[in-house]
Amino acid sequence: MNIINTLGLSKNYGNVKALDSFDITLDAGEPIALIGPNGAGKTTLLSLLCGYIRPSAGSAQVLGHNIGSKALSGKLAALPQDAHLDPRFSVQKQLSLFASLQGMRGADAKQEVQRVLDAVQLAGDGVKKPGELSHGMRKRVSLAQALIGKPELILLDEPTAGIDPPNVKIIRDLVRNESKSTTFVISSHNLDELERLCGSVVYLNEGKLVESGPIQATSDDGYLTIRLPSVPEDQFIRECRKLSGVLDVQRQAQGDYLVHQSEGHAVDQALLSMLAKNGWRYRHLIKGRSLEERLYG
Amino acid sequence: MPVFSIAKNEWARLFMSKHGWLAIITFGLVWGIFLFYVIRPAARYISSADVGIIFELLLPRIDTGTLGLWQSKEIGLYWVFALYLLPFFTMVSAADQIASDKTRGTLRFLVLRASRTQIFFGRFIGQYFVQLLVILVTLLSVFALIALNSPDALGNAIDEAPVVVANLALVLLPYVAMMALFSVLAKTAKQATLFAIVGWIVLWFTLGYVQNTFGPFSILDWVLPGSQFVSLLRLPGWETLSLAPIPLLQTVVLLFFGWLAMQRCEL
Repeated sequence: MNIINTLGLSKNYGNVKALDSFDITLDAGEPIALIGPNGAGKTTLLSLLCGYIRPSAGSAQVLGHNIGSKALSGKLAALPQDAHLDPRFSVQKQLSLFASLQGMRGADAKQEVQRVLDAVQLAGDGVKKPGELSHGMRKRVSLAQALIGKPELILLDEPTAGIDPPNVKIIRDLVRNESKSTTFVISSHNLDELERLCGSVVYLNEGKLVESGPIQATSDDGYLTIRLPSVPEDQFIRECRKLSGVLDVQRQAQGDYLVHQSEGHAVDQALLSMLAKNGWRYRHLIKGRSLEERLYG
Repeated sequence: MPVFSIAKNEWARLFMSKHGWLAIITFGLVWGIFLFYVIRPAARYISSADVGIIFELLLPRIDTGTLGLWQSKEIGLYWVFALYLLPFFTMVSAADQIASDKTRGTLRFLVLRASRTQIFFGRFIGQYFVQLLVILVTLLSVFALIALNSPDALGNAIDEAPVVVANLALVLLPYVAMMALFSVLAKTAKQATLFAIVGWIVLWFTLGYVQNTFGPFSILDWVLPGSQFVSLLRLPGWETLSLAPIPLLQTVVLLFFGWLAMQRCEL
């Protein structure tokens, strides 16, 4: 089922093309990563899909409806970047209003608010006003509002930006759990996180679609990525190059090594044996390249 | 219905927030002072048929004879002062229909659940009912004053009150609509009030210039909210409703432009 379908979608700010003839079709299912450098057009795309801004040209459909359509109420939700709840009212009060706008009444609305607060592990904080919560908790509350009514599609714009690791973990676990019934589109600069959560990726640059497809591309079959926290670099590379089928070994950031293997060879077993023989411990071994390496390497 | 949920929430914004209570208390104090130190003594002067000078000093454009149209002098005075004061209160209290929610991003949570039209009109309706409440509360305070000073006059006051309520309800409509428009255009409530005041003054000067330079155009009298006030004060009882098309038309025009701005604004 198509969840997002755009045709020539463009948004200009003066002479700046924030989004330039963007065509894409995305299907429901695993979370979708939306990536690209600052100014690539990610937030513009999400804002257009939510109907916050109007396109300069082109068209888009979300869940089979035109963007901004009333039919999307309760089906499409979002965690917009830099959007805050009203500081004058308790979290519960505001979430109850959102629930009532989605057609829930009285006890149903109350129950739904409690459910979404439970989901973001803030069940006891509903009576607080947003100003009484930490930045991470406020972000979780904003995520809670997106979960009201179990929408079919949730767009998350930088859901973990600027928040501490415990809050990041809560959000990540939540997305993983909810993605069984809801499709998420997640815009983020944290590629490691996106790799762990998402099944496919949409890569934008300068307002244009550069690439879209599975996060694990078939072009990565000839690579292994291994993370070794404390291993002598030169010695490892030397030993590795001795293995049959290894074409090249390169050091990446954070103790990652990219092993390029020749076609038809699977060097992972030999690699692990070599590590064991030398008494070197590894943190993880990935078949293929990391998303960062693939896109920016 | 989302529009009614949003309208109802406007009441919550007034009565369930510190900011709202601060506005209510401030207005209550100002109104209390006004009631006891202006309306009460002025009513006494009117009773003694010696009102002319004081009244001409306060509101020089108003024909003081108009107060004779009212059986209850207190209601007559309330009508005159409320007519000029309540629009100012509206310009302040109804200024945050959209502005701060738009700037803060809260509106982005709402537009995924209700249409922009529903949000705009929901907020307008909610604020209008707040203004109706203000009319009723201030009128009740005048009744209380009459009951304390001259209980015999209470009957006349109650008889004449519906005319005043109906007229004030009509008079405030374009002001709430004007603030709905400016609160879409502004970033904060204060800015919306400033836009409204400056806009009103600029329009007043422009219309005055056009009228003086190119001759009188009676149609231009309909443009500015409040332009009918002097004529309104000269009419007795329900005849005042003959001027009702002016605020109604102004409201329709202002709401149309406000709605248009709401549809086009980027969040």
